[in-house]
Amino acid sequence: MVSQPVPMLSGVFMKRMEKKFWRVGPCRIDGLLLLIFSTAVGAADLEVKDARLRLLPGDLPAGGYFSLSNASKQSVVLVGAESAAFERVMMHRSTEKDGMAGMEHVLRLEVAPGETLNFAPGGYHLMFMKHLAPLAIGEKVNVTLLFADGAHLPVTFLVVSPTSQ
Amino acid sequence: MRQWLLLLLTALLLTGCGEPSWHSKDISGSMPALEFKLTDENGRQVSAKDYLGKPTLLFFGFTHCPDVCPSTLAYLAAVSKQLDGEAREDLQVLFVSVDPARDDPQALRSYTDAFGPQFIGLTGDKAALDALTRRYYSLYEYGAKDAAGNYDVMHSTAVFAFNRKGEARFLFREGDPVDAVTADLRHLSADR
Repeated sequence: MVSQPVPMLSGVFMKRMEKKFWRVGPCRIDGLLLLIFSTAVGAADLEVKDARLRLLPGDLPAGGYFSLSNASKQSVVLVGAESAAFERVMMHRSTEKDGMAGMEHVLRLEVAPGETLNFAPGGYHLMFMKHLAPLAIGEKVNVTLLFADGAHLPVTFLVVSPTSQ
Repeated sequence: MRQWLLLLLTALLLTGCGEPSWHSKDISGSMPALEFKLTDENGRQVSAKDYLGKPTLLFFGFTHCPDVCPSTLAYLAAVSKQLDGEAREDLQVLFVSVDPARDDPQALRSYTDAFGPQFIGLTGDKAALDALTRRYYSLYEYGAKDAAGNYDVMHSTAVFAFNRKGEARFLFREGDPVDAVTADLRHLSADR
């Protein structure tokens, strides 16, 4: 797993986020999303579990968490996410140094074959900024995970309460 | 079983030593009593005296914080659910925003209300925030603004615990074992 933190202002990252990707629908099996890549690079089986978005009041940025398992035979590189429900989605990592909490952008996260990448409180998280329509706890939000090879993965995030851990 | 264990632990802690000791990092004597002049989430000028009489937790953060701050407040909400009676009813959590430019009283109020009635939002000007953070050997720092004007705020991760008299007692962090912190908070409630 490789992370490449960059300073808060990253023009490259912003441009990357503005790229458009075409989508396919997810198929739901036993509560898990079994997802199949749509590119010619090779079919990779990825499983996303526990995808949730912790909603905060008003227009405050919300944290998104999930686990991504790579059951394929090749590495995948996560480069970001997008959602029609939000103006912007960023990939971040919370850091702690000398008792101080901070955040850094993450540009790329490699998930090796057989590995699971966890986005969890206090570590990697998606930051969902400026929702475009009101959201309520219990609702579902469509999010697309974006990969370095141009592949994309639709994932349904459950909107959870601020006090969920 | 767990309750008996905690009772036993508490009993052990109470015997043999006059001063309470904590599972969490003890700051009795090494950190000063609670003191500040800030604005509360209703826009009132308040000082530490307004919060005496109840066990009090102090945490520095900012509302535009998607991960660490809500995770810490959610953790505190979960821990306070483990308490009962007076220990639960009396506990107050002071969430001090070190980002007054974005966190006005209204924003703070809707934020703390989302976590529970025991959460109280406070903030102040730079001088007031500097005085309070320095008092507890804490720092905060603003990150660079992006094109949309968003910025990160680096802040201390510690939660400071004070007894009913406002005396500093212990500090802990999100993710510390819930049972130990719960036992400390029960103990704190009894520390008069």
